[in-house]
Amino acid sequence: MPPIRASKVLALCQTPGSVYSAVPQPRPCHRAFTQNHDPAMLKRSVQIYHSASTDPYLNLSIEHHLLQRSAPESYVLFLYANRPCVVIGRNQNPWLEVNLCQLSQGLLPPPSPGSPPPPHRRRPQVVDLVRRRSGGGTVFHDGGNLNWSVICPPAAFDRDRHAEMVARALRGLGVGGARVNERHDIVVDDAATTTTATAVKTFKVSGSAYKLTRLRSLHHGTCLLSSPNLAHVSALLRSPAEPFIKARGVESVRSAIRNVGVGNGKFVAAVVREFRAMYDCAADAEADVDEDAARGMPEIARGVEELKSLEWIYNQTPQFTFSTHPTEDDPRPRPPLPETIPSQFRCHLTIRHGEIQDAAIAGLDYADDADAPYVSQNLVKQHLNRIVDWREALLLASPGQLGDIGPVGGWLNGMFGKTP
Amino acid sequence: MASIARCLRVTRPSGLSALVKSPVSRVCAARAFSATATNAVRKYTKEHEWIDLSADLKTGVIGISEYAAKALGDVVFVELPEEGKRVQAGDAIGAVESVKSAADINAPISCKITQVNLLLEDKPGTINQVPEDDSHGGGWIAKVQVDEVGVKDLEKLMDDQAYKEFTAGEAEEH
Repeated sequence: MPPIRASKVLALCQTPGSVYSAVPQPRPCHRAFTQNHDPAMLKRSVQIYHSASTDPYLNLSIEHHLLQRSAPESYVLFLYANRPCVVIGRNQNPWLEVNLCQLSQGLLPPPSPGSPPPPHRRRPQVVDLVRRRSGGGTVFHDGGNLNWSVICPPAAFDRDRHAEMVARALRGLGVGGARVNERHDIVVDDAATTTTATAVKTFKVSGSAYKLTRLRSLHHGTCLLSSPNLAHVSALLRSPAEPFIKARGVESVRSAIRNVGVGNGKFVAAVVREFRAMYDCAADAEADVDEDAARGMPEIARGVEELKSLEWIYNQTPQFTFSTHPTEDDPRPRPPLPETIPSQFRCHLTIRHGEIQDAAIAGLDYADDADAPYVSQNLVKQHLNRIVDWREALLLASPGQLGDIGPVGGWLNGMFGKTP
Repeated sequence: MASIARCLRVTRPSGLSALVKSPVSRVCAARAFSATATNAVRKYTKEHEWIDLSADLKTGVIGISEYAAKALGDVVFVELPEEGKRVQAGDAIGAVESVKSAADINAPISCKITQVNLLLEDKPGTINQVPEDDSHGGGWIAKVQVDEVGVKDLEKLMDDQAYKEFTAGEAEEH
């Protein structure tokens, strides 16, 4: 491990104070890090960090920094909550996992009881799309979802160990029956009694993902505490292109979710308590990460830049095909295309690293039938995400005029997350 | 002995080694070695990668060990190395995903990636079936070009027997 520069350590841990100001809770008094009191926090055997930032790209980059720079044998707990975002796993496909059109429209604010909200509150909230560095499936985050992350030596790695820690914290807060299931998720039961029977339904409240490097292992998880947006999550995570895409990589497993109804501060305090009970943690080994200082650190800034790049978000996608009709490789029956689309229309695309590698488009209204192969050929090498309007892309790809391209282009736009 | 094994792992653990310390069944003696024409030497890292070096010390093949592959669980995706890339021993060159875990694959020695096993993109489960097979259809990950530095790096790695003892120690400890 390279030597840790003192200034970096200071930058990461200098500011004490309340992190979760949205939910004011009494917090243990953290030591104030000052210039002349440099504890080389990252070298401690047990470390606890809180981030007040809600920027998912920044929080994941701080987390990655802790993964790379904390002492090899140390145990680190990092806690943060993000603004609304959809987070896909390292080897997932955003076109398949996410309703990108819906995502770009944002989230409508939840209805408030009584008088309608003032105009500025009626604007939809932006939802970020994030690809994390760990494996696993797609999750939704917002301020009512608390993320916990434990970094430890590989020798201590166990997929359930820290999920159990969080489940204990939840049970301690009165969330009875919180337990870790066989998928390493935390679930709770809800007994809904009807007149005829009692049906027990199980809901996921926390999901896990892992990243293992040569020196360290990271287990991070979500915990739905009080998200006001759960009603929208299912639609956000349902892609209209799902029946047409066959992807390599990792597909999400859909689960019914719910909030546990605990405040962020209470949850954080309980998780910290459980973590401290597991590891011999010095009273002063807890620090708040200063957002501006973290952004100013070159390694973290580079991490943010990488996570925000379209290259990472889209082009990291494992190879996939999009076919309007059943193929040998993907023989599923397809839903009917809109009636406005010519019945002879066919589209088969192979996309590798976000780039169209192979295209076979047929059945458009060509001025000259000899144009057909050129349309396909000219789409090759284009980045799927950079095609803003398929009407334009098809017209540009065709040597001659194309008849009414509107319905086909609009439909493809909708499939790939652009304005239909 | 156990504490020594622990120290070793703390000094050079890995993405893969995080997964393999649980008490898994021992490596079976009959590994899926493929007999290469050039009498390749197979060496292992503590992070559970293997490398075959050709007799002329110029080229090699890299993969992950059967022991590691068992502990990984079902491999659902293999992120292959980048062809043409030069890497140092210990650099992350790719990753495997299994059970929500993205685990780095590290270069066992300094080398240049000349070819990657594209079969793994389509059939990642090959890693579970024949992880130590360096032939066509096997679970090898990359073919590499090696220079003097790489050959020197090889000295630090374990031979088949030493690796067998190393993994037996790991399984015992847990």
